[in-house]
Amino acid sequence: MEKDLKKMPTPAASSTESASLSTTQARLVSKTFKKRSTWASVWRQLRKNKGAIAGLVLLIIIIGVALAAPIIFDYNTDIIQNNIRERRQPPSADHWFGTDEMGRDIFARVCYGARYSLAVGVVAVLFALVFGVTFGAAAGYIGGAFENIMMRLCDILSSIPSVLMAIAVVSALGKSTLNLMIAVGVASTAPFIRVARAAVLTVRNEEYIEAARAIAVPEWKIVVTHILPNSLSPIIVQATLRVGSAIISAAQLSFLGLGVPAPAPEWGSMLSAGRIFIRDHSYMTLFPGLAIMVTVLSLNLIGDGLRDALDPRLKS
Amino acid sequence: MGDHTAKLILDVKNLVVRYETEDGIVHAINGIDLQLGYRETLGLVGETGAGKTTAALAMLRLVPDPPGVVECERLTIDGRDILNMPSAKMDDVRGKDISMVFQDPMTALNPVFTVGEQIAESLQIHEHLDKRDAMKRAREMLELVGIPGSRAGDYPHEFSGGMKQRVVIAIALACNPKLLIADEPTTALDVTIQAQVLELMTTLKEKYDTSMIMITHDLGIVAEVCDVVAVMYAGHIVEQGTLEDVFNRTKHPYTEGLFNSLPNIYNRTAMLKPIKGLMSDPTDPPPGCPFEPRCEYALAECKTRNPDLVPAGPTHKVACLAYEQEGFHIKRRI
Amino acid sequence: MSRYIVERLLMLIPVLLSVAFIIFAIMNAAEGDPVYSVVSADATQEQIEAARIELGLDGTLIQRYFRYVGGMIKGDLGTSYVSKRDVMQTYMMRLPNTLKLAAASMVVALVISIPLGIIAAVNQNSIRDAVSMVLALLGLSMPNFWLGLLLILLFSLRLGWFPSAGYEDGLRSIILPAITNGTGLAAFMTRATRSSMLDVVRQDFLRTARAKGVTERKVIRKHALRNALIPIITVFGVQFSNVLGGSVLVETVFAWPGVGRLVVDAIEQRDIPTVTGALVMTTMLVTITNLLIDIVYAYVDPRIKSQYAKKGFKLWKRT
Repeated sequence: MEKDLKKMPTPAASSTESASLSTTQARLVSKTFKKRSTWASVWRQLRKNKGAIAGLVLLIIIIGVALAAPIIFDYNTDIIQNNIRERRQPPSADHWFGTDEMGRDIFARVCYGARYSLAVGVVAVLFALVFGVTFGAAAGYIGGAFENIMMRLCDILSSIPSVLMAIAVVSALGKSTLNLMIAVGVASTAPFIRVARAAVLTVRNEEYIEAARAIAVPEWKIVVTHILPNSLSPIIVQATLRVGSAIISAAQLSFLGLGVPAPAPEWGSMLSAGRIFIRDHSYMTLFPGLAIMVTVLSLNLIGDGLRDALDPRLKS
Repeated sequence: MGDHTAKLILDVKNLVVRYETEDGIVHAINGIDLQLGYRETLGLVGETGAGKTTAALAMLRLVPDPPGVVECERLTIDGRDILNMPSAKMDDVRGKDISMVFQDPMTALNPVFTVGEQIAESLQIHEHLDKRDAMKRAREMLELVGIPGSRAGDYPHEFSGGMKQRVVIAIALACNPKLLIADEPTTALDVTIQAQVLELMTTLKEKYDTSMIMITHDLGIVAEVCDVVAVMYAGHIVEQGTLEDVFNRTKHPYTEGLFNSLPNIYNRTAMLKPIKGLMSDPTDPPPGCPFEPRCEYALAECKTRNPDLVPAGPTHKVACLAYEQEGFHIKRRI
Repeated sequence: MSRYIVERLLMLIPVLLSVAFIIFAIMNAAEGDPVYSVVSADATQEQIEAARIELGLDGTLIQRYFRYVGGMIKGDLGTSYVSKRDVMQTYMMRLPNTLKLAAASMVVALVISIPLGIIAAVNQNSIRDAVSMVLALLGLSMPNFWLGLLLILLFSLRLGWFPSAGYEDGLRSIILPAITNGTGLAAFMTRATRSSMLDVVRQDFLRTARAKGVTERKVIRKHALRNALIPIITVFGVQFSNVLGGSVLVETVFAWPGVGRLVVDAIEQRDIPTVTGALVMTTMLVTITNLLIDIVYAYVDPRIKSQYAKKGFKLWKRT
């Protein structure tokens, strides 16, 4: 309808000018207004999304379990102490998920394992986020040769399969939980550089940035107050989804014996230990894997929900 | 226009189209009747959102379903019942008996096929030509619309907007349709190209005895190419008649508004008089006359009663309650 | 077009050199002096120095890097510390197995994802759409090695349909590894296909096709799919590196003697030349595949093709 009105001849030259001025102002006003209401509307959108809510509930439960685990279980006696007499027992009322080859309660270990997976996933993604967003935003904002070099570097980094990259980093730094976080973080940096750059590029040319520049707002202030907040949504979506894949990567490395060292109850290393007994004691591989899947699933559900809520293209 | 005894290429009775979306029901077309004789050109006029394109899509049975719901008492093209035709049969009608030129040539062509292939496809479907003959005919069609046949192997992005629209016209006319619907065929084009494309369409229409529906909001185009005119507003036809009727004996306040928002060439300093306000929300149409909120002649009754399209002359019809008053006339005088 | 390919091939050189440098630098940052993993515990200082020179471990990182690259150009990736074999030879021996697995995984992914994605998009918001999307989400959330273990449990140990390990059994032995490795990709591509199709399904040119009497089936399969393929190919290209990466795990689970196993074993044995060589070669493979995909891309999308044909290709400003 608006298009047609434009096509219809406009009243007179002088009033056209004032009209277009007022639309620019209106746009500027609506943008600042929008910034505040966006998060409320995102939440409203998210609340309508059953999948995202299910994911959120799951994740809250998992976080709760991770937080409560050290209160309920004692690390030395419940988690890592061998109990040879009770080894490899199938699930029962005493041991809900059964016991492993050392007689340790798998339910307790799976609960405790949530701490490792969540910590590794979140720290690794924070690492990737900080580096990636800094370099990506700088690339998008500065442009020129710096941008080109960053993007080529991204191409190079993403042509190294991320599992192999993480393996190389762990093998160079040595096996430890911290190194695992760094390795997974390094391997997931490139996507953040890309997303941040793309987000900044789209925002950089918006009219309200031009307007801010026109009234002599310092460049750094433009980046911090206008560009970053407005390029936040794709970065948030990316981060949520990446925590999931970081958890999988960490479990993969642990499965290969390159992650959290034994006897810590990491889900990947529990799977690695349990696979030998898969024929007769499949519960040993069933539950830790299920824990990984449910955790990653909850993050993917939330990430998808956030993307739908934040992506204006899908709203129409 | 409605000489009911003559044979009609198009006969539409009480067409209703609504889109049932999550956010509510959009009443796109609220019961319109249209008749068109052979070789006639009908101008369908109105602002965007009036339902012109939806009406055209309904005639081709291309209203997307869901969310679109089409209801109609009668819909015949060349005497054939389109309404109850099985969809497989419908594919034979589209492109053969009735075809359409779309508004935006930039998006109307498939970017991954050559223009020749896209013209030939129509011929392969309806004339059952093999690929080589179809391509040969496609090149001829390109020549016909003023593009060298040697360019049949080029892709759409290698053509300008005006040339793309010529290609779209070539696709539409490839199988000599009996009825051509042109949906704002010149809106997306440069002013200089508009005249060329219009002339091309009218020439080809004459040459092949095609009937045409010209959808537009440009009254200049209507004056140039149309025999009969229907003015649409918010899914209703508010005025209908011959070109003479609608242009020289304007009855409906909305039609008057359209004319008033044109620049006056006799008095260049005169202010334009655009129609105030916006079209009513199609998800929540007013109970009375849809134009009432913007109408300067509105009566109290207009708020509650929706006027029927009633005769206002031998070939002229108008839907306006004000004419029920003795001696009412609008201000516009030619 | 040929000019484009030549220029892309030329651009591979700096990329591969950088990749080699990154990996080389990471591997050389490893704790401890690798020379001690080779010489015996009671070696004299001279013996150690001799071994150092023999292994090419003398000089600065940059010197060693250039020596490494010099060898790489001649196809020499050094000698394994452990097996004393030529790294290139060992790699080339393992590569066919990994490529077979990757190819089979991609076939699995394509066969599942394209139809599923189309069905989901064409019937948007229907039950079929919902089921496809739930399946894709599960596939995306499942760690591949765990899926492999579950498949072994069900199809090898319980049902006995397929072998649980090894590659001697031909087609039968590749099915489970291929499903394991292909599921993640299938999930990704189902989602990509759906969203790409959803974009295309709304395009005006499909209406033009319908208006000229093209049947709905052909509208989807010919007009829509050909356009939707363009972004799908991109996802496919990006994910290829993950397929190769994922095969490390799958090869471990199924005792599949490919490159992935080679890398993992070499890391355990601190066999740095093998790890470096395998990583460099694998990355090269990914890069070359991406080039091939870009070429396919240009053929599917005439806009890109004519862009290269006319203006030539600019090395620097691609993005």
